[in-house]
Amino acid sequence: MRALTRHRKLSAIWASEEGFKGWFSTVNHNDLGRMFLMTAFLFFLVGGLLAMLIRAQLATPHSAFAGPDIYNQIFTMHGTIMMFLFAIPTFEGLAIYLLPKMLGTRDLAFPRLTAYGYWCYVFGGAMLLVSMLLGIAPDGGWFMYPPLTGALYSKGINTDFWLIGITFVEISAIAAAVEITVSILKFRAPGMTLARMPIFGWYALITSLMILTGFPPLILGSILLEVERAFGFPFFQAELGGDSLLWQHLFWLFGHPEVYIIFLPAAGVVSTILPVMCRTSLLGYGWIVASMVALAFLSFGLWVHHMFATGIPHMGLAFFSAASTLVAIPTSVQVFAWIGTMWKGRPELHLPMLHIIGFFVTFIIGGLTGVMVAVVPFDWQAHDTAFVTAHLHYVLFGGFVFPMLAGIYYWLPHVSGRKRFFHLGELGFWLIFIGFHVTFLAMHWVGLLGQRRRISTYAPEDGWTQINLISSVGSFVLAIGIAIVMLDIILHALAQRKTRRNPWRAGTLEWAMLLPPPAYNFASLPEVTGRAPLGDDPKLANALARGEGYLGTPRNGWRETLMVDVASGRPEVLVLFPTNTQLPIAMSAVTGLFFLSLLIKVYWVTPLALAGVAALAWRWIWQGGRKNDLAPQTVRPGCDLPHSTAVDRAPGWWGSLFLLIANGTFLGSLLFGFAFLWTIAPGWPPPAWVDASAIEVGAGLLAAGTSATAIRAATRANDAGRPVLPALSIALTATLAMTFCCAALLWRTPAPTEHAYGATLFVLGSYGLFHTLLAVLMVVHLITRVLLGYTSVARRAEFPIIRLWLDYIAMIVALILLIGHMAGWFA
Amino acid sequence: MTDLLRILIAPLVWLAAFISVYALHGLLCALQMHGMVLGIPLERLSLVTAYGLAILMQIVLLLAVYRGWPLAPSSEFVRFVSRVTGWTGLMATIWSLLPVMMTTSC
Repeated sequence: MRALTRHRKLSAIWASEEGFKGWFSTVNHNDLGRMFLMTAFLFFLVGGLLAMLIRAQLATPHSAFAGPDIYNQIFTMHGTIMMFLFAIPTFEGLAIYLLPKMLGTRDLAFPRLTAYGYWCYVFGGAMLLVSMLLGIAPDGGWFMYPPLTGALYSKGINTDFWLIGITFVEISAIAAAVEITVSILKFRAPGMTLARMPIFGWYALITSLMILTGFPPLILGSILLEVERAFGFPFFQAELGGDSLLWQHLFWLFGHPEVYIIFLPAAGVVSTILPVMCRTSLLGYGWIVASMVALAFLSFGLWVHHMFATGIPHMGLAFFSAASTLVAIPTSVQVFAWIGTMWKGRPELHLPMLHIIGFFVTFIIGGLTGVMVAVVPFDWQAHDTAFVTAHLHYVLFGGFVFPMLAGIYYWLPHVSGRKRFFHLGELGFWLIFIGFHVTFLAMHWVGLLGQRRRISTYAPEDGWTQINLISSVGSFVLAIGIAIVMLDIILHALAQRKTRRNPWRAGTLEWAMLLPPPAYNFASLPEVTGRAPLGDDPKLANALARGEGYLGTPRNGWRETLMVDVASGRPEVLVLFPTNTQLPIAMSAVTGLFFLSLLIKVYWVTPLALAGVAALAWRWIWQGGRKNDLAPQTVRPGCDLPHSTAVDRAPGWWGSLFLLIANGTFLGSLLFGFAFLWTIAPGWPPPAWVDASAIEVGAGLLAAGTSATAIRAATRANDAGRPVLPALSIALTATLAMTFCCAALLWRTPAPTEHAYGATLFVLGSYGLFHTLLAVLMVVHLITRVLLGYTSVARRAEFPIIRLWLDYIAMIVALILLIGHMAGWFA
Repeated sequence: MTDLLRILIAPLVWLAAFISVYALHGLLCALQMHGMVLGIPLERLSLVTAYGLAILMQIVLLLAVYRGWPLAPSSEFVRFVSRVTGWTGLMATIWSLLPVMMTTSC
């Protein structure tokens, strides 16, 4: 087959629908990555505009620009948009766009999930923007501390917009994290071992794992605070056994890793671009991988350093102070590796390199002030002052925005297939760099002089006037710089100068394709033998276009790709992707309806929306099945692979595994909250304990054990070609029994509005009940599939997936029943 | 997946030990457990014991990583990275929990 014929056939198979309609039905990572990045950039502009309003307000003392109520909304939305609607989605967009290309595959593991995550992000973000336009935006600061944000002190709907909108957006983050993790581990080019992975792949993998374990505490905290506000469950009310410090623990359990979740992908961009700009390879690849693992874990042991001023005992403070100083080491390892790379190579000062230098200067200053605030006595002096605001901007702007600007200019020819024509970017860089440092160096200074964060005004006699004016002038210079970069990019998009393939002479696989990339990425998948495949073989792109790799012959209209072994990259499974569908946008709209019903308190809609989500999820899963066995398919001469329905570890199994890790972290956070309130919060013991029942615990444990055993028996029966319905019926009965036991625990729980004990136990029981109902649905689904002929001895992939979920649910039900009832016995 | 686990295990155990010792410290302070054992305050003894166990666990992990137990790593790269993260776990445990030896507990 000629290369052009192959290209036309593959394009017909992989293309999105044409025109406007295609936006809503595309599941292609090229489209969705670009849509993510464009949307995130729009939010960045809104957040930047809000920053200008903040600086306009603070430029002069006693400013009449905005009153305190509006000012509170402005700074809250600035922080919220930049953290949740710009930084994280930019990582998601970049990873979604780049990873399949860098990893040498055709799309991410779950294309429909990519689309679902994107639409959840758009709808959740739009919810927050609407609140701002209506003048009822969140106003409690981006970290929403109760009791200020409790129902007593924040009476309007403002706080609810934040709690519900952000939880909605976080679905997108979790979806993307599952997607990226599974894609990196299982959807790589054949031969791409862990040691041959592009360094950005490692960064994205570690970041995604951090999202899976870092976001659930915040999701939990948001749910608890919203339930407190809506229904009066006193999780954070000290007089009823709650504790507002619990929010701080949950928030910062998320919030500190969040800083590294933002920094690590940016560091991945630096590690990718820097060697190309220096015409060499990355120094200390192994050291960098080890240091990012260390950084990721250490970042989870730092959350209390945001709480040094809350009265925690000295030894507790010392633990977190010590751990905070420790993160400087793995960060430095990376910085020294980058310096070594520059030393080893011949740096060329292209525009991406300028932004990388901007990153070095800014981020290192931010890191040093970070070590300063990690030291408790200094933190007590600088806490809640503009010094800390300046520090975090040095870390986040320096550690994220500069590398992202470098990334934009580096991959712009890739996205557009065009050359830069007007060289406005250099001017933009210098204005951004100078404007940023004028703004935030001044802010350090005024913070040390005592200016507090979030104040809407100050008096002339405070002595901060000139410094604030300088800072505001700097911020407007910065804004002009961003505007020039934007103009440069728009002109780039309009200019008609085609770029050549691989204009930077890079070694990574994303440049081994047509520019802009076709929907299918690679006409055939490469066999990777080194860390820089394109550097090792500059003619690789032509060979792939001629179909000399894997899956070089389009067939049956299938969107085909390969799954590989995690460590060795050996091809294992043939995967057929779903085609264009509007199911993801429909499901995210119904998910949005669920959140909206909670926000405007139209609770009769809530169960309907939930049922709608369940129905669409059912349809989603149903579409993936086959009613006939598919023989192993030839993916390359001499290499036949089974289809993903005919293996034990299908993509769905891997996705479920990582979703359950996030889910388990959510439960762990809830148990931490329960233990924290019990031991630390005032107002304990509660007026009434649960009326414990040994019979219900025993029945629940028996049911949990039975469900786990029955699903195993069903799996074995299917593998042996025996009838599976008897074992599945037992599993269904056992899951129904677990449901009954969790419902009974809720029934026995003391009034949840009277004390935090009852409130926490109610949430714990509800978590168990939700999951047991999920288990019932899953078993019913499997029974229906068996009855309608969707399973066979060969088509067995669904059994291990359901087994994984039932094992998890059995485990958590046993845990919840034991903890719930034992509390009553011990009391 | 065993390669990935080998790389992650030592920092993961550090995190578990760090949070456990912090929780133990919170519990001891909340329950106001006073008393002396062998002339050492009970809360100090408990924390130092936990500290010692955490270090011991990291040493065992490091030895396991060096000896390729229970399965040998699939490549030299995995062996190298897991050794570095093994040392990271040990050093992080020693440094971040050192306050149990040095500062007042509650």
